[in-house]
Amino acid sequence: MEPMDIVGKSKEDASLPKATMTKIIKEMLPPDVRVARDAQDLLIECCVEFINLISSESNEVCNREDKRTIAPEHVLKALQALGFGEYIEEVYAAYEQHKIETMDSLKGGKWSNGAEMTEEEAVAEQQRMFAEARARMNGGGVAPKQPDPDPSVES
Amino acid sequence: MRQAGTYSGMVISGKTGPHLLPLARIKKIMKKSGEEVKMISGESPIVFSKACELFIKELTQRSWMVTIKGKTRTLSKEDVASAVLATDLFDFLLNLVSQSAPAPLHPKPPN
Repeated sequence: MEPMDIVGKSKEDASLPKATMTKIIKEMLPPDVRVARDAQDLLIECCVEFINLISSESNEVCNREDKRTIAPEHVLKALQALGFGEYIEEVYAAYEQHKIETMDSLKGGKWSNGAEMTEEEAVAEQQRMFAEARARMNGGGVAPKQPDPDPSVES
Repeated sequence: MRQAGTYSGMVISGKTGPHLLPLARIKKIMKKSGEEVKMISGESPIVFSKACELFIKELTQRSWMVTIKGKTRTLSKEDVASAVLATDLFDFLLNLVSQSAPAPLHPKPPN
């Protein structure tokens, strides 16, 4: 009887994509090195086990803090508790980087094209809005302030 | 251009922007890790993704250290197992790799 066969297959429904994992693995090695297929598979299994480990610990950290949702802070604390404190700096940096990139895309890349353009456009916009407002206040009869030196005509 | 012999611990990876590992799968694995797993914030898988990447890199590097001691340029399953055995931090993987260990350190118990 080999329990590994039965348990292994059912738990391995959610695994990590081989191609991505292979990419990460090969990045660490000189280009002429080969990685045996079963070695790749084992590395992937180890990674899944790693996620399981950190997940369980994160869950406990979350419980201790009486929170309902596992937040990045809990994961970082879990890493520390399990001896992976060395990862924390890089992991946190990547998380911060992602936050910045996400905010940028949410606000639209248009706004962060160039500060100069934005200011000029904003000033022009402001002048237009003032002009429109004045026009409405004056009943549309009097021409608002314009860059062209036209004498104001009262009808 | 390929640079030969650029083996060093310092890998200049400017690819930290997009997460390499799929967040949905990570979330799936997280949920399967225990019976009473709480809700997972949308940002947590991102943290996991990076942690996994670092973990794999470390394990690969240690395995490679074992490989180069031999005369082969192929990283084998036994090398990974040896690396796990040699690192206290990776004790949680002992069960997983015990079958691939080069020397029979853990004799299989009879059924």
